[in-house]
Amino acid sequence: MDSGGSEVILSIKDVCKSFPGVKALDKVSIDVKRAMVHGIVGENGAGKSTLMKILSGVYEKDSGTVVFDGQQIEHTTPQQSMQRGLAIIYQELNLVNTMSVGENVLLGRFREMKGMRGTHARARELLDRIGSKIGTTRLVSELSVSEKQMVEIAKALSFESKLIIMDEPSSSLTAEEMGELVKIIRQLKDQGISIIYISHKLDEIFEFCDNVSVMRDGRVIDTKPKSEYTRNELIMQMVGREIENEYPERPQRVGEVLMEVHSINTRKLHDVSFSLRKGEILGFVGLVGAGRTEIVRALFGADKVRGHQVSIEGKPTPIRNPRDAIGAGFGFIPEDRKLQGLVLPFSVESNISMASFRKFTRLGFIRKSVEKEIGTRQVKALSVKTPSTKVPVVNLSGGNQQKCIVGRWLEISPSILIMDEPTKGIDVGAKYEIYMLMKEIAERGGAIILISSELPEVLNMSNRVLTVFEGRITGEFDPKVTSADKIMSAALGFDGACS
Amino acid sequence: MTAQGTNSAIRVGASILRDYLVLVMIAALVALTALIEPKFLSPENLTNIMFQFGPLMMVALGTTFVIIGGFIDLSIAGTINLVAVVTISLIQPMGQVPALLTGLAIGTVCGALNSVLILSSGALTQAEALFMTFGLSTVYSAIALLYSHGSTMHFWDITASKSVFQAIGSGSLGFLSWSFVIFLISLAALWVFQEMTAEGRAVRLTGGNKTAARLAGVRISRSIVVIYAIGGFMAALGAIVLFSRVTTASPVIGVGYETNAILAVVVGGTTLKGGKGSVLRTVMGVLLVVLMSNCLNLLGVSTYLQVVAEGAILTFAIWLDNRKHM
Repeated sequence: MDSGGSEVILSIKDVCKSFPGVKALDKVSIDVKRAMVHGIVGENGAGKSTLMKILSGVYEKDSGTVVFDGQQIEHTTPQQSMQRGLAIIYQELNLVNTMSVGENVLLGRFREMKGMRGTHARARELLDRIGSKIGTTRLVSELSVSEKQMVEIAKALSFESKLIIMDEPSSSLTAEEMGELVKIIRQLKDQGISIIYISHKLDEIFEFCDNVSVMRDGRVIDTKPKSEYTRNELIMQMVGREIENEYPERPQRVGEVLMEVHSINTRKLHDVSFSLRKGEILGFVGLVGAGRTEIVRALFGADKVRGHQVSIEGKPTPIRNPRDAIGAGFGFIPEDRKLQGLVLPFSVESNISMASFRKFTRLGFIRKSVEKEIGTRQVKALSVKTPSTKVPVVNLSGGNQQKCIVGRWLEISPSILIMDEPTKGIDVGAKYEIYMLMKEIAERGGAIILISSELPEVLNMSNRVLTVFEGRITGEFDPKVTSADKIMSAALGFDGACS
Repeated sequence: MTAQGTNSAIRVGASILRDYLVLVMIAALVALTALIEPKFLSPENLTNIMFQFGPLMMVALGTTFVIIGGFIDLSIAGTINLVAVVTISLIQPMGQVPALLTGLAIGTVCGALNSVLILSSGALTQAEALFMTFGLSTVYSAIALLYSHGSTMHFWDITASKSVFQAIGSGSLGFLSWSFVIFLISLAALWVFQEMTAEGRAVRLTGGNKTAARLAGVRISRSIVVIYAIGGFMAALGAIVLFSRVTTASPVIGVGYETNAILAVVVGGTTLKGGKGSVLRTVMGVLLVVLMSNCLNLLGVSTYLQVVAEGAILTFAIWLDNRKHM
């Protein structure tokens, strides 16, 4: 079919999969060739993860065929797939934190390795193969995310994997760590191993993928060599329409001071004070672990913190718990959507209505019709893609789940909305919609505190940026006039960067 | 496409069957027992069953909310012991109605005390709750033993009027026993709480995801107090129905009720993971547990084997629940 002529290691043909209310995969066909990096891109909910789970054996496909390395695969389990040579490295890595690197690489096969000495020796070999210098006796809990990823890759290699699937491996890596990963991917390719690389990030796709498949709404839209795509074409195929800019214009109506925060002090935070204006998006920039999340959690009353003062519109406002905060006009979109934001098995509707009990209850009784109105209103306003408001929110894609949380707060129109990593794991199209919402909220007079690990996002959306380093605010910048380098060096704690 | 249609129809059918498996099992059990032992459907045996399930039903209904809220309560056995001996001893000095109300109040306080300890120690996992409530259970039982000096109290020692308790124990309203009427009223009240009140929803959200609920402004502390208070109140009601039926109250009368209640709730289909479940499911669970024990009794199966059977269906119910979550 293709002129490339190289051998096909994995052939997926007409695979279908439905979940109650959702057709997750619709006749998906993809061929992956030996020793090639095959990129799969698509918005959240496009069906990438479902496809990978079918390949690994977590889900059973409804119909279609999968041929791997010349063998037709039916009714497989994750263990069997691994042993066949098909390894998957998930976004949330699967390692035992309390065990050593070597033990994790060869988990459950210590006897085959003839004891711990053999285990560590073999783990060393495997890590050397990808040029990693991690000590095999170190505890996994002490490793950085990128080091953990290397352990996962070594683990995959230990099974003589012929195909390694990486599910958004870059979502929590720094630029430097990403460089490392790219090097490893190239090495693996040279060793004859195929890689399926799933990502939202187009830069990565263009950097090292050989072929690219675009998925949308459970279908494969196109599969072509990378060289035949342009960036715009790829985006268009992903979202099904053209997006001109990745970011909207910043909000235009910054007004007077709305809130003053004085000296938040905890074990991690030192004398954090700042102010927030009406109509403003205030961005916090800093490394993961610098204390950004702790600042907003303290502010919202999510963690017990005492001694700091918050005044809103000049009035001192004590906030002891999230309920006080909500009463004072706050909304909070936490960084971990699934663990902290949503009640996953519950309906879209009750996830949206969660913060507005007062609106849909009377004398302690629920008024179902009012609750339904709330759900329907927000689903419509935010164009949440869902078959109905009664569907469990867990069935929705990441972007649509996030919209439900945004809707929850829009329903009570907060004057200060805290957004911690609001676009994490969300596709380009939904991201833009969330940016537009942020702008809208700000321009209606609300204020937004934005935390994001994606620097371009903070810099392009914020009216003002504060840098956080080791629990202190190290600088205040106007991202319109200050260069990204300067802001980043303040966030990395370099002296003299403060202006 | 049609193959796929039938395929998904089968799947929907399977999930409905799974949801109502308890009903199917109850029907099968009734049919089977009636075939082997015609005495099963005799009026005496049916009346017997109606009285038999009363106490366990009350206790299990209360436990349902603790489990929906994502917690667990083992203190119930101690609460039943304590409420039973204290209430029966108060009939003589206080009169029967004040004694009854005091008993219910003690149960509610005992239940709520669990939540106070859980909240003040910041123990928010089910495992922590398991051990804390187990600890309290031994405390309540010890108080019951101290209070009663370890002896059993009998109705016939009470000279004051005890007509209310006698009615609860063995009286009937038409063809329904009073304990059955109490059950119907409790069920209706708890169902309304579960389906129609804001607090019922808050309990569900707390069980579904405590962190998310708290961050959305749901008062999870209040929900935790409420579920344990309901659990304690219903345990007290169960204790009163129980000692009224057997006309004696010993300080170990409640032993085993906590595990049987959890068994019935889980077998009924309320998940131990929290967030999902219903008092109606618990009714089915209790029916199954009671019918099974009645049926095994009629068939002359040894008590030891009955315990094995209970363990087996509990394991099966948890297995089934985990299949649902996959």
